[in-house]
Amino acid sequence: MMPMAEGVQIGLLPGYAPLLLALPLAGFAFTAAVGRRLGKRAHLVPLVAIAAVWLIAMSLALPALTGGLGEGGASLPLFSWIASGDLRFDLGLHVDALTGALLLVVTTVGALVHLYSVGYMAHDDSYWRFFAYLNLFMFSMLLLVLADNLLVIFAAWELVGLSSYLLIGFWYTKRAPGLAAKKAFITNRVGDVGFALGLMGLVAVFGTLDIPTILAGIEGGALAGPAATVIALLVFCGAVGKSAQFPLHVWLPDAMEGPTPVSALIHAATMVNAGVYLVARMSPLFAASHEAMLVVAAIGIFTAIFAASIAFTQTDIKRVLAFSTLSQLGYMFAALGVGAWVPAIFHLITHGFFKGLLFLGSGSVIHAVEGEQEMPKMGGLAPKIPLTYATMLVGTVAIAGLPPLAGFWSKDEILGEAFKFGFAWVWLVGMIVAGMTAFYMFRLMGMTFWGKSRVPEGVHVHESPWTMTLPLVVLAVPSIAIGFLLGYPFADGLLVHGLEPVFHAASAALGHEHEAWTLFGIDGLLMLASVTVAAIGTAIGVRLFRSDHAELLGRVTARLAPLYRGSRGRWFFDDLNDLVFVRFGGRLASALWWFDRRVVDGAVNGVGALASGSGRGLRQIQTGRVQNYALGIAVGLIAMATIFLVTAR
Amino acid sequence: MPLPPTIPFIGLTWADALFLLLGGVVLGAATLVVLGRDIIRNGLFLILSFGALAGIYVILGAAIVAGAQVLVYIGAISVLILFAIMLTQSKAAPAQLTFQTQALPAALAALLLGALFAIALGSTPWGATVFADTPAAGGTSGVAATLFGPWLLAFEAASALILAAVIGGIYLAAKVTDREEEGE
Amino acid sequence: MSLIAGHLEPYLVLSGLLFSIGAFGFLARRNAISMLMSVELMLNAVNLAAIAFGAFVPELAGEGASFALLVIAVAAAEATVGLAIVIAIYRNRKTPLVDEYDTMRQ
Repeated sequence: MMPMAEGVQIGLLPGYAPLLLALPLAGFAFTAAVGRRLGKRAHLVPLVAIAAVWLIAMSLALPALTGGLGEGGASLPLFSWIASGDLRFDLGLHVDALTGALLLVVTTVGALVHLYSVGYMAHDDSYWRFFAYLNLFMFSMLLLVLADNLLVIFAAWELVGLSSYLLIGFWYTKRAPGLAAKKAFITNRVGDVGFALGLMGLVAVFGTLDIPTILAGIEGGALAGPAATVIALLVFCGAVGKSAQFPLHVWLPDAMEGPTPVSALIHAATMVNAGVYLVARMSPLFAASHEAMLVVAAIGIFTAIFAASIAFTQTDIKRVLAFSTLSQLGYMFAALGVGAWVPAIFHLITHGFFKGLLFLGSGSVIHAVEGEQEMPKMGGLAPKIPLTYATMLVGTVAIAGLPPLAGFWSKDEILGEAFKFGFAWVWLVGMIVAGMTAFYMFRLMGMTFWGKSRVPEGVHVHESPWTMTLPLVVLAVPSIAIGFLLGYPFADGLLVHGLEPVFHAASAALGHEHEAWTLFGIDGLLMLASVTVAAIGTAIGVRLFRSDHAELLGRVTARLAPLYRGSRGRWFFDDLNDLVFVRFGGRLASALWWFDRRVVDGAVNGVGALASGSGRGLRQIQTGRVQNYALGIAVGLIAMATIFLVTAR
Repeated sequence: MPLPPTIPFIGLTWADALFLLLGGVVLGAATLVVLGRDIIRNGLFLILSFGALAGIYVILGAAIVAGAQVLVYIGAISVLILFAIMLTQSKAAPAQLTFQTQALPAALAALLLGALFAIALGSTPWGATVFADTPAAGGTSGVAATLFGPWLLAFEAASALILAAVIGGIYLAAKVTDREEEGE
Repeated sequence: MSLIAGHLEPYLVLSGLLFSIGAFGFLARRNAISMLMSVELMLNAVNLAAIAFGAFVPELAGEGASFALLVIAVAAAEATVGLAIVIAIYRNRKTPLVDEYDTMRQ
């Protein structure tokens, strides 16, 4: 393993580090094999496995984030996977501050989701299958985060996609989950094509996919100019697919067909962060190309406002949260695109916690109203499910960016650095989105918890069991505190220092200086602006949805009717996809199939028909009569003699 | 009184006239052989054709071949053919078609063949001598010298061939019961 | 001065015509024995040509007639066996017509 830069040493991970991968894998294998027979106790092995994983992960992540593992992090080579001629791909584990950040979110939310699922999936027949898939997913995600070779990351990328497919389509006997799972997988695949091409480009330039080697090479200037742009954009394709950015965002809202713990784990806290992690890990590659960074920022911030505008009008509680996830991921990519590496990861962490909280909370709400997911059929639930209400309120305030909760810290840093690095347009759109976020989240709160109850007769609204509410409470803690813990002092906090060695090279390439934070200067102004915008959005949202202002809402909606329709229809992007790829593509495919059947098969069959037909024709000559043959001989003889006579003249 | 050198009124030499007469008989009889309906009549015309041909051989000075022609062809082969006709007669013979469906193409082929012969034979310089009357007679000693000289092997082979043919003929034409008794 | 009988060509023409007649008969007649008679005609045409060459071309002095004699021998042998076969087939098929002999047809 080469050192990342001159003089930076990489330590050795403790020998029990591979347990991070082995335990979930063993949990999956065990539960898949004998889970069916364990009935309601099938969760025990997976749960214990994940708890152990959490402990081990914390023992590695906390030192990593606080600098305890050294500047270059620590690694542990495992084995050589492919060794063929000049190509060599090894599997090894690598933990640095970036890995630590991801481990923190993935294992904490993962463990809590496992616990939550005990209560949520209690009535399901395929209880054991759910936990098996959850462990498989944890294995895949941890492999993705810990690997130090891009080929292993790609393999884990696909495994994560597979686990997501299995979990989205968990209730496969119904039509919608199956379709949603396929949509997720196929859309991911489209992005993966670009990713694979980017990997091929990297192999062509560097001859290996070992990350430290590649990053050192890029820092040394081995890849620059148009080549760097092309490869960076290709790798970004994979991130676009996995993290559901525009135009490959269509699968995430549909993925809500899966059980709510799945939505919380995969589509809020872990899998969708894989794209962000990839770009962050390959930050020197992106820093080498200003064009690629610009594209990343543009797509990111566009997705943010695009998704936020759709979240305004959705009525399914999970769908609102799904579009919210899209929007927040857009923030993260916008941050990466402007070169604000640390704020992006900061937001990844905070978002993982409060979005996980919000999703699990929504699951608790759905459980309380016995399966109803449409908010028009909820309302007035606050006094009936107080614990769920309180924790969801915490999550909402966090995501709205109101201080001093977690979201404020990370969002403010993103917007601040965007402005300071000269991307005023990113800052402006980001501000608008912040206001929109506050608005639609409080709309969700209002429609679900406040006002009069619109719950149908006969539904007995009840609080969820402790296995579901405990994770909510646990997640509320970091939603409140982690912003402060990681981000204070401003621009000088724990996370900044921890991640500094990771992004040192990329920031240097971009020429970003580390400036001091001035409260009474530009930074203070920006912070005031973002808080103001969040407050305005909150105020409007609360005002419109605090109680049933159906008439007021109706007037507003009518005034903005075309926008309302467009937002409701998700800006008709799914319909566009359907038109171009399904309908038009289908017709094209039919035409090609006709061609294949008629022309290609026709030619082949034609040859056969020609052979048998000509055989049938020629067979007529064999009459079995000697005189016919003699006539043939005579004719041939005459012909030959004539030719001979003519040519011999 | 010696014969005049040419036939009066016609102006052909006797040899020419004899040749034309015999040639005409040969071709006419041959035509009737292939065109006739009744097969026994065809056989008889065949004999006539052979006879006239023997005469032409005499004109050409190959008396021994003429003798062999009469002895073998007319005396043996034609008789054999007539025997075979008798043995394979069917009652329905008069009513059946004489010619094949391919008779017309066959005629065409024969015509073209004849034309080819004419062209080929006519345009080749054979280096042949021209006789005033007819070719010299008495080539018998020449035949004997050739047959028992350089062509001795062919002569002996021909006798072996005839022996084989006789045995084969007997075997093939024997009654079926006799053959089956001999065992397969 | 003989105009015809003293030249080679008339004999060759006669031979050619006789051969053509024999060829037509061989290709066009239905009865097997008619076919054999046509074969004899063709062989005779060849004989005639051979003897004519032997008479008119000095180099082929005795060979023409010897050739004809051998051909007669072969023709006799062939006629023997051929007719024996026809008789044998007639016993099987009860017909001397060659278009009935088509078991080898495809």
